Amino acid sequence: MPTMTLIQAINTALDEEMKRDERVMLLGEDVGKRGGVFLATEGLQQKYGPDRVMDTPLSEAAIIGAAVGLAAHGMRPVAEIQFADYVFPGIDQLFSQAAKLRYRSGGQFSAPMVVRMPTGGGVKGGHHHSQSPEAHFAHTAGLKVIVVSTPYDAKGLLKAAIRNDDPVVFMEPKRLYRAVKEEVPADDFLLPIGKAAVRREGRDITLVSYGGPMVETLKAAEEMVAAGLDPEVIDLRTVMPWDKETVLASVAKTGRLLMISEAPRTASIASEVTATVSEELFDQLLAPPLRVTGFDTPYPLAQDKLYMPTVTRILAAAKRLLDY
Amino acid sequence: MVQEKVRFQPFSSEPIRLVDEQGHWVAPFEHGLPPELLQRFYRDMLAARLLDEKLVILIRTGKTSFIAPHAGHEAAQVGIAHALRKGHDWLFPYYRDMGLVLALGVPLVEIFGQTLGNAADPAKGRQMPSHPGSKALNVFTVCSAIASHIPPATGAALSMKLRRTGQVAVCTFGDGATSEGDWHAGINFAAVGRAPAVFVCENNRYAISVNISKQTASENIAIKAQAYGMPGYYVDGLDVLASYFVMQEAIERARAGQGPSLVELVVHRFGAHSSADDDSRYRSREELAAERQQDPLLRYQRFLEQQGLWDAQWANELRLEISKALEAALQEALQAGEPDPLEMFDDVYAARPWHLEEQRRLVAEELQS
Repeated sequence: MPTMTLIQAINTALDEEMKRDERVMLLGEDVGKRGGVFLATEGLQQKYGPDRVMDTPLSEAAIIGAAVGLAAHGMRPVAEIQFADYVFPGIDQLFSQAAKLRYRSGGQFSAPMVVRMPTGGGVKGGHHHSQSPEAHFAHTAGLKVIVVSTPYDAKGLLKAAIRNDDPVVFMEPKRLYRAVKEEVPADDFLLPIGKAAVRREGRDITLVSYGGPMVETLKAAEEMVAAGLDPEVIDLRTVMPWDKETVLASVAKTGRLLMISEAPRTASIASEVTATVSEELFDQLLAPPLRVTGFDTPYPLAQDKLYMPTVTRILAAAKRLLDY
Repeated sequence: MVQEKVRFQPFSSEPIRLVDEQGHWVAPFEHGLPPELLQRFYRDMLAARLLDEKLVILIRTGKTSFIAPHAGHEAAQVGIAHALRKGHDWLFPYYRDMGLVLALGVPLVEIFGQTLGNAADPAKGRQMPSHPGSKALNVFTVCSAIASHIPPATGAALSMKLRRTGQVAVCTFGDGATSEGDWHAGINFAAVGRAPAVFVCENNRYAISVNISKQTASENIAIKAQAYGMPGYYVDGLDVLASYFVMQEAIERARAGQGPSLVELVVHRFGAHSSADDDSRYRSREELAAERQQDPLLRYQRFLEQQGLWDAQWANELRLEISKALEAALQEALQAGEPDPLEMFDDVYAARPWHLEEQRRLVAEELQS
């Protein structure tokens, strides 16, 4: 079984899907000759030609909007947005067209497409290269939203997203592109969209996270284990629709929920998960669910590491829960 | 085919016009069209006008919540519809295109169903009136967000090119749309990708109340095509034959792999922007009265008279026949009833996720109580 980084897993998934289905095509800025600024599409234009790996004008509205029309006409486009922060000029296309096409046409038309984007901080990218806008997408009916944290998930979920009949926003924490490596099966496999992964089973407290902060969440869990505690760790993987069943089953067992995300706190995925757990498990909770999140500020370059959930903040919140 | 012999001049300083106000054929070539087709244009323009009048009655009698009148656009819309290969090419219309989708063959029952937002609407009553769509006829569903359908039209056209289907994507919009970023993004990408697309501005010179002078400092809309590297045709959209021939040339040019074009059809908007608008606040009755003197139906009637293809009795019979069809379709649509309320939760995704199942169950219980 080959060992891959997250970016290699993405490249492999795209390659396999393009080989499997000639309707699958890639479009975006620099995806062709350059192979993408992070090299996610490296070598694919040479293999599949400029029609199927299409360098586009520098316009997110054109990229996402054209993907809608390509998909509605029968292609399976995978659009690359160079940084999640740059999606906003294309938001009208994502929200008004991609997300709503099936609904507003009464099921007559649909846009089975994927919009890939590097997300999150931790690479000294500054304000407009570090944001985590997943809540905007999750709040928009009609979009599915995936945020991966491992190479194995990246391959299995990206392939599933390409074959999915709905528009999927596929978010890739850029700080993990080359920071994590693991064995990824060379064969064709899919992971279910909407299904979380239990990274560690435990009985004392449930830590739920996704994407970049899975790194800090797992580190915090290790420290808790070293201190004699038994945390359960869940990686949501899909934030819309998120896996309520797995989270509720875990919190019903542990009685404590700590939700960790690097996106701004207010009106976030973390808010949604903690609110749902409060609504549904109120009488089984041993402490009020807590959130460790990014802050309600624009993303600050100088405080790159401090903005994202730190192991210290995660452990402090866990202590509050355990001492409650 | 006439368009094989005729090439229209892009970027002309005067609008391309083939029939003058008095109905005289003024082009330097023979139109070569069979009498049945010439009469069909009139029939479709009249049907579009009578549909508009019917929609006005529906809003005045409280049977619908909104309309976007299309009177004044009939020649442009019928010209576009007949230049397309129906059911083969794709149309990406905007909300003032009810006459166009009617001429393209969308059944009147569906048009009224959409207007009423009831079970006769193939889109299940999801959108406000004047937002038609038909998968069967390749009519993309209208979106309210201005110009947002332009990049998808480009994408569909790119797909047509990649898959070598021989289709063309025709995309219509008003003059206001040309101010939106999506317009520039979509048209630029289409030109770069040599997509088989035709972008058509039905320019009535008003975006709700805002005059064209606030929309663009360009001499006209067609000239903008120059910047994108495609031909731009400036056309009298009150002349159905000019609209038809120029559209046909642009569509066949796209079909032949020569890339997209921009066609500006200058029209009048005889009504207000919509039923929620009072146009007396921003334009004079004199201006409107002068525009009404240039009714596209009247001009085309004069042309047909000179061809020996129009008389009052024929026109009256036609009017009666169309009115009956309109009324019958309206009655059928009115009887369709409301859409199933639980359909609200369908079509958000290909399959309902758990959270929509939960919300659907809540409403189902409420409806049963």
